[in-house]
Amino acid sequence: MTIRRVGGKLGSLVLTLVLASALVFFSRFLVPGDPVNFLLRGRKPSPEAKAAVVEQFGLDLPPWEQYFRWIGGMFHGDFGRSLQFRDAVTTVIGDRLPVTAGLVIMSAVIIVVVGVIAGTIAALYRGRFADRAILTVLTAFGAIPPFVGSIVLIAVFAVQLRWFPAFGSGDGFLDTIYHLTLPSIAMAIAFMVLIGKVTRMSMVEQLSREHVHVATSRGLGRLTVIRRHVFRNALGPIFTVGGMLIAGLLVATSIVESAFGIAGVGSLLVQSVNRLDFPVVQAIVLLVVTSFVVTNAIVDLLEPIIDPRAAAGEAGR
Amino acid sequence: MTLLEISGLTLDLPGGERLLHGIDLSVNEGETVALVGESGSGKSLTAQSILGLLPARSVVTGTVLVDGHNVPTMSSKELLGLRRSTAAMVFQDPRAGINPMRTIGDHLTEALRLGEGWSAGRARERAIEMLAAVQMPRPEEHLRQYPHELSGGMLQRVMIAGALVGSPRLLVCDEPTTALDVTTQAQILQVLIEQRQARSMGMLFITHDLNLAASLCERVYVMRDGRVEEEGSARQIFRHPATAYTRRLVAATPTIEITGDEPRASTELVRQPVLQVRDLAKTYPGRGRESVRALANVTLEIAAGEALGIVGESGSGKSTLARMIVGLELPDFGKVIIDDQERHGRPRRRADRLDRARKVQMVFQDPYLSLDPRMTAGEAVEDALRLHHPELRRPDICSRALTLLDNVGLASTQAEALPRTLSGGQRQRVAIARALAIEPSLLVMDEATSALDVSVQAQVLEVISEIRRERGLTLLFISHDLAVVRTVCERSVVMREGEVVESATTADLLTNPQHEYTRLLIDSVPRAAAIA
Repeated sequence: MTIRRVGGKLGSLVLTLVLASALVFFSRFLVPGDPVNFLLRGRKPSPEAKAAVVEQFGLDLPPWEQYFRWIGGMFHGDFGRSLQFRDAVTTVIGDRLPVTAGLVIMSAVIIVVVGVIAGTIAALYRGRFADRAILTVLTAFGAIPPFVGSIVLIAVFAVQLRWFPAFGSGDGFLDTIYHLTLPSIAMAIAFMVLIGKVTRMSMVEQLSREHVHVATSRGLGRLTVIRRHVFRNALGPIFTVGGMLIAGLLVATSIVESAFGIAGVGSLLVQSVNRLDFPVVQAIVLLVVTSFVVTNAIVDLLEPIIDPRAAAGEAGR
Repeated sequence: MTLLEISGLTLDLPGGERLLHGIDLSVNEGETVALVGESGSGKSLTAQSILGLLPARSVVTGTVLVDGHNVPTMSSKELLGLRRSTAAMVFQDPRAGINPMRTIGDHLTEALRLGEGWSAGRARERAIEMLAAVQMPRPEEHLRQYPHELSGGMLQRVMIAGALVGSPRLLVCDEPTTALDVTTQAQILQVLIEQRQARSMGMLFITHDLNLAASLCERVYVMRDGRVEEEGSARQIFRHPATAYTRRLVAATPTIEITGDEPRASTELVRQPVLQVRDLAKTYPGRGRESVRALANVTLEIAAGEALGIVGESGSGKSTLARMIVGLELPDFGKVIIDDQERHGRPRRRADRLDRARKVQMVFQDPYLSLDPRMTAGEAVEDALRLHHPELRRPDICSRALTLLDNVGLASTQAEALPRTLSGGQRQRVAIARALAIEPSLLVMDEATSALDVSVQAQVLEVISEIRRERGLTLLFISHDLAVVRTVCERSVVMREGEVVESATTADLLTNPQHEYTRLLIDSVPRAAAIA
């Protein structure tokens, strides 16, 4: 059954990717502007030179054939060539991916840790001061767009206090973490409210369950009851929302990386859109879609581990 | 020796509302005491006060002495000790009361391991011992199972085992059998009685069912509106109730004893059948599992003006049958004939739907769910009238709705009320008025009084019998409760696992049951008569 379930997930993953790739690829034909002009840097090209470039990048083929060439290329790890860097897309993205992955992971960790702790405290003190304070602060933070957060953090912690660098991504593991601290906080601020509120809601619901009452009546301490019967049972929705965060975070990197001058995938996306570097844009968008679908598939597959009833439901009820 | 001594217990909510007004109650070692009352009487709160489980920030005065120690003044550490080894509680709904994400073994051993610091092996042995004590068939295997793999009755045994692992001296049972079928209830009560005797525990048994209290307990406390109304031996409470309230409660409690006041089958020889059900069958395909046979070859008939009872436990197919008669579900085989017209397929067109609705109306179990929360009682009835009588004018509709509400005992002022401001019994009467507005040939009531308190149930049943006398209503009355069916229906059928096992006049069924399952059902009903 589990194999069937994983198989089904993979099938829908492939379908999603095919649809997304087609959408991404053909949308470029709707965008005004001719990549050839960019390739030739605004020079007045001779028709021969222009034809050579068109030929080199396969821009003269009909759209659907270009699409299949692109898809076919992907199967041998060839995502095309970047128009602006004149290098393989895989190389261009691959160079920048580690720092972006680090940024996303760091801010995801901050979001989950802060959100879950804040949401749990809010749930346990529901209706009291701590609850209202946490909700107010989280909601206010949620209204801060990442670019504003970035500017404020740079102004306070980099320029005024000089605790953190304002620019670049650093070398080596610890230095990278040091450099990414402010950017990941800037991204995390806006998203914490989501996890915080879901945690609070889910915990409040579980707190009112009768089995929590029963566990208390058996003489278990409050912390034990909360850990074993409330928190554990509240995990499902937290996982689900957490999985959906990943795509949002990847997109948010484009703003934060630009603000902090980090050479990552996000800033690359902004740059490539500006320069009509379609192969790179397409590859990045596909990367975002893939990571979103894959994280959600993982979350779905984890569900039966959290909730044994889900495992039974899948066996057929 | 006195194990539990509650005196002058009052409880105020943080808002200032007083829920308990000075409760006095005691339980001796080895004694079984019943606490009886309708919803809102404060019986569950009283029970919770014994384990210090009261709502947060509620204000308590008076004393609750458990084994000589006063619970309201205990530190939280002393409370944990009390709950672990002195007093334990069995709750109403085992499905809700056991964490669905943890194994049975975890449920049984966690208090011992995490509270008392027992080793995993020792706790496991104790859990196996307790599961065997409550007669679970395969204790070792059950430890690894999850709650959804067990039936409700099995889970209630697990809940009892969980309460007993700490060897409590006082066991508080809060409606432990209310969510269970009557035959399962009999088994669970047996387990409770055995364990109480084996451990000479004191037991406080909370129930809304006077018959159950009387059949099980030596002494009975009757509670009402946060006060103890009356206290005495079970026999005394039942035979010679001292207060008017208890008298009413005893009178309202239906029994299965034949008293002669039950409705009689009509002597008219031939009457037109309103409903004929022929060989109805339905199987729900189980994806990956065994399929479930909900109905198999059910055949029955109701004559005009007759009331037919359908009795069965959960899973007997009685609700599926009702839904098919109303047209909410389609049979695999068989026919439903109403007023000589065969009904097949789901009514598709508007005219078909209206026609079907005019023939059959249904009153559902839960009046909290079956009324639109944004429609007043009057509007709910008017809505049905407008749909089925487009020729009526507005003032006529209004006055008809008021008449209908009056028929079910609701005043015209209550027509303006939204469902949430009405009590459960009043809501159910609105649902009945709405069904009657259409003047159906057949009224189907599916456990329509099961969620109500006995005194309210008695009122609703009285409304029904009045309407039957006045209008000759034809009724299909579905219930798990033989005693209620006795007071309503001339004829009854007993269903089990989708089949009709016996069909007879209700009086014959109760006095001279032919099928062994019918006998089992009757024997499982708790009887106050046993104490006479």
